[in-house]
Amino acid sequence: MATRASSANAYLLVPIVLMAALLGTAVIRGPSLITESGIGSAVIVAAPVILATYALMVLAVAGRGTVDLAVGPLLAFINVVIVKLSTAEILSSPIATFIVAIGLGMLYQLLFALIVIWVRVQPIIVALSGFLALTGINLVILPRPGGVAPEFMMSWGAGTTIFSPVLVILVVATLSWYLFTASTFYTNLKMMGYDERAAWTSGVRTDVVRIGAHLIAGVYVGLGAICYTALISSGDPTQGQSMTLTAITALVLGGVALSGGRGGVTGALLGAVSLWLIGYVLATFNFGAIQAFMTQMVYGIILVLSLLLTLLVPVIARYVSFISPWSAFLVLGVIVLSIMMQVGTFDTYAEVAPVAVEAATSERYFLIEPARVAADGFRISPVQAFALIAGLGAIAIVLAARLVDAESGARKMGPFLYLFVAAMLIALFVAIIVQPDSSLFGVPK
Amino acid sequence: MTERSDTRGRVSVLPMPKSIALVWLNIGLSLVVAAIGLGVGFAQEVSAQRVILFTILTATVLFLLLNYIVAAFEANAAARAEETEDEQEERSGRTRKLWRNNRVLIIAMAGLLVLYLLLTAAIPEFRSIKNLIGFLVLELILLFAFKVSGQFASGRSAFIGLIVLFALIVISAFSIEGFLSGPNIKAILLFAAFLGIASVGQTMVALLGGLDLSIPFVIGSSNIALLFLITLGVPSFVAFGFILVLGGIVGLFNGIMSYRLQGQALIVTLGSGFALAGFTQIMTSIGSQFAGNVFGTVPKWLSNLAAMNGKFIGMNFPPTIAIWIIIAIVMIIGLRTTAWGRNLYALGGNRRSASLIGVSEFKYWVGCYTISGVFAALTGSLLLGWSGGAFIGVGDPYLFTTLAAVVIGGTSLLGGNGGYGFTVIGVLVLQVLTSFLQGIGLQYEWQQFIFGLLILPMVALYGRSPHIRATV
Repeated sequence: MATRASSANAYLLVPIVLMAALLGTAVIRGPSLITESGIGSAVIVAAPVILATYALMVLAVAGRGTVDLAVGPLLAFINVVIVKLSTAEILSSPIATFIVAIGLGMLYQLLFALIVIWVRVQPIIVALSGFLALTGINLVILPRPGGVAPEFMMSWGAGTTIFSPVLVILVVATLSWYLFTASTFYTNLKMMGYDERAAWTSGVRTDVVRIGAHLIAGVYVGLGAICYTALISSGDPTQGQSMTLTAITALVLGGVALSGGRGGVTGALLGAVSLWLIGYVLATFNFGAIQAFMTQMVYGIILVLSLLLTLLVPVIARYVSFISPWSAFLVLGVIVLSIMMQVGTFDTYAEVAPVAVEAATSERYFLIEPARVAADGFRISPVQAFALIAGLGAIAIVLAARLVDAESGARKMGPFLYLFVAAMLIALFVAIIVQPDSSLFGVPK
Repeated sequence: MTERSDTRGRVSVLPMPKSIALVWLNIGLSLVVAAIGLGVGFAQEVSAQRVILFTILTATVLFLLLNYIVAAFEANAAARAEETEDEQEERSGRTRKLWRNNRVLIIAMAGLLVLYLLLTAAIPEFRSIKNLIGFLVLELILLFAFKVSGQFASGRSAFIGLIVLFALIVISAFSIEGFLSGPNIKAILLFAAFLGIASVGQTMVALLGGLDLSIPFVIGSSNIALLFLITLGVPSFVAFGFILVLGGIVGLFNGIMSYRLQGQALIVTLGSGFALAGFTQIMTSIGSQFAGNVFGTVPKWLSNLAAMNGKFIGMNFPPTIAIWIIIAIVMIIGLRTTAWGRNLYALGGNRRSASLIGVSEFKYWVGCYTISGVFAALTGSLLLGWSGGAFIGVGDPYLFTTLAAVVIGGTSLLGGNGGYGFTVIGVLVLQVLTSFLQGIGLQYEWQQFIFGLLILPMVALYGRSPHIRATV
């Protein structure tokens, strides 16, 4: 095969491995994550950061070293405006809220794009300018945290179910990016980010593409602000700076190139979720008063380390060409999902006592009576049991490895793997949601 | 009527439009304006004689002016009518060129005028002579910035910065009482000194085309670590030196890392800053009940160094200002004249050429980051002397203000252009502006908002990158 796994995808290896390790640790350290409310609140807490990271990702792909430092303050700005309007009882309907949030995000980003295109200053300076201006104006609009979110959002932030509207927003935002990647516009965007001059000389209308990228980022920020408002159910003008820093960290963790041309929603999602997991894992250790400092330090160290790892990616990709990021995702996903299922279902079910089969029953079904070692079933010794499981495991591993190797050349997973992952996910959901009152796996305790 | 006979008497010396209709139009306009003046005058209950006098004067002067303008236009129109087509084309080309060359200036000035008129119309308190002066000064700045600064090829940003600084001082002196008093100037200079020392590293790093966002974290960490060491019983001078060395080590690490990870300086320094701030707080809060807070007494010499009532060789200003002035002089001269400084500019301008003539990119890059770390640690220690108590968040305002000072001063973040002298101007502009905004009673958040809005036009005046079609 001439082209093995594409190099852009190889950068996903680091976030995938990181996320698998973190998820495994998180589940073992804090089993409450594997409950309906655990996952539900995780989705709600992580959603604003994930969407802010998406926005940063789009801009990073657009190139020119665009890191919109103002993404956090912009999110806080929209949050504060919504809350201010809703407290004044001007804004109450969901549609109006969405229009205001997304409109403000797009308006700011449009302005950003126009300044970059016409005034031709470096994007980082526009971002810096926007950061300072928005941080200031946020405190003017709402001097201290408070206010009420629109009525319809009140139930969103409860986090008792997995399928909250926030999850819908998140899924729609993610899926629409995948739809977007099928368009020519996306190709032009990537090309422009990678080499703007080449794109321009080959006839791409870079101005239009840049404006488009900024508008998409604006939509993501608007959605992020809505999720954030739902999360805190009020307005908070002060969290902008930390939101920016978190989102940038997530962006880097996700393997998106700040130099432009490389990045996608997958990496950004993995990065943001990993970041949230770091916080979760750290929270399960009890550091007492120094908890916040510990989190800060670990954030910093992981940020630098993951940057160093991206240096190693080309080297890794050269030697580890037999496994594609998708296969790694699959294998690690299976491991992590089995850990999750083990933890989620641990101690939930009573051991079912073996039922002795009457001889008469078997005689009714079989013409020839089956050969039997003993009267009460097929007995094997522990050594035999181990050998049997080991043998089955070996066959499974060989099959999986064969499959993985076959898939490693592909850019996308084959349908079988999709099915496999889907089955695993469904099993997990069944285990989590249905388990308390079901006898699917046995009698609940 | 009196005014008509008056004007008719001076026809010989003053231009009159040839068209009689225009003369009547002018008379009509003048009379209408004069009538409005009359009405307003009586409404304000000014004495009748003065009202009549002003009305006549208004009408006369307005009529003369209108006549002058109309006559000038008529003459132009006549000349144009005689021109050939070629000449007309050339003229329109010239007009277009004039417009194209000055459109930004004209739009900016018109925008400012509209803003001023809107504010004046909307807010009654805004109508004062001070604001009018402020407005005129701003328009003048724009004019200077666009037209005159073009003559200074190299120091354009410095020239604009100085004009803005000068204008700010003039406006502040007019509108704020006690702005030019001793204590206020001392305060401005002291805070400028803190920001200036913190910006040394940022300037040098920016000259190479990098960024250092770890500065605020190094400032905060050195702030609490210094007091922690002093309360542990370490002699204060030793602790001070030790902190500077630690700052240098952090800078060294930043330098090496960001050199290896080219183009990711922003993230690397942010990450190491996070890690450092967390680490320092953990170290200082071990065995303490008050996590994150360090209590202790700041040694006398340190608080004398930076406090407002500090003395410098008997003179009544804190030595920090003197330290900053010395650093600034050394930096400006050093960057301009030493081989080290010239090589720095060479590297920032064109890395490939510089490394081809044997300038080690790695050494300079790491060197600049190390210097940045040392000066950030120095700022943190001085801030401890100023406040008398340790606080990790003391560096937070410096996260973007060091960057803003560098950018406003005119050092390009792309490297190779600028210098510490520019940063000094940028620092002073920021501090004087802060003082001005505080003086007119604006809160911190408004200050930040205005800073944000200020950076863009300042950079847009001199820091524009070429259009893509010029780079292909």
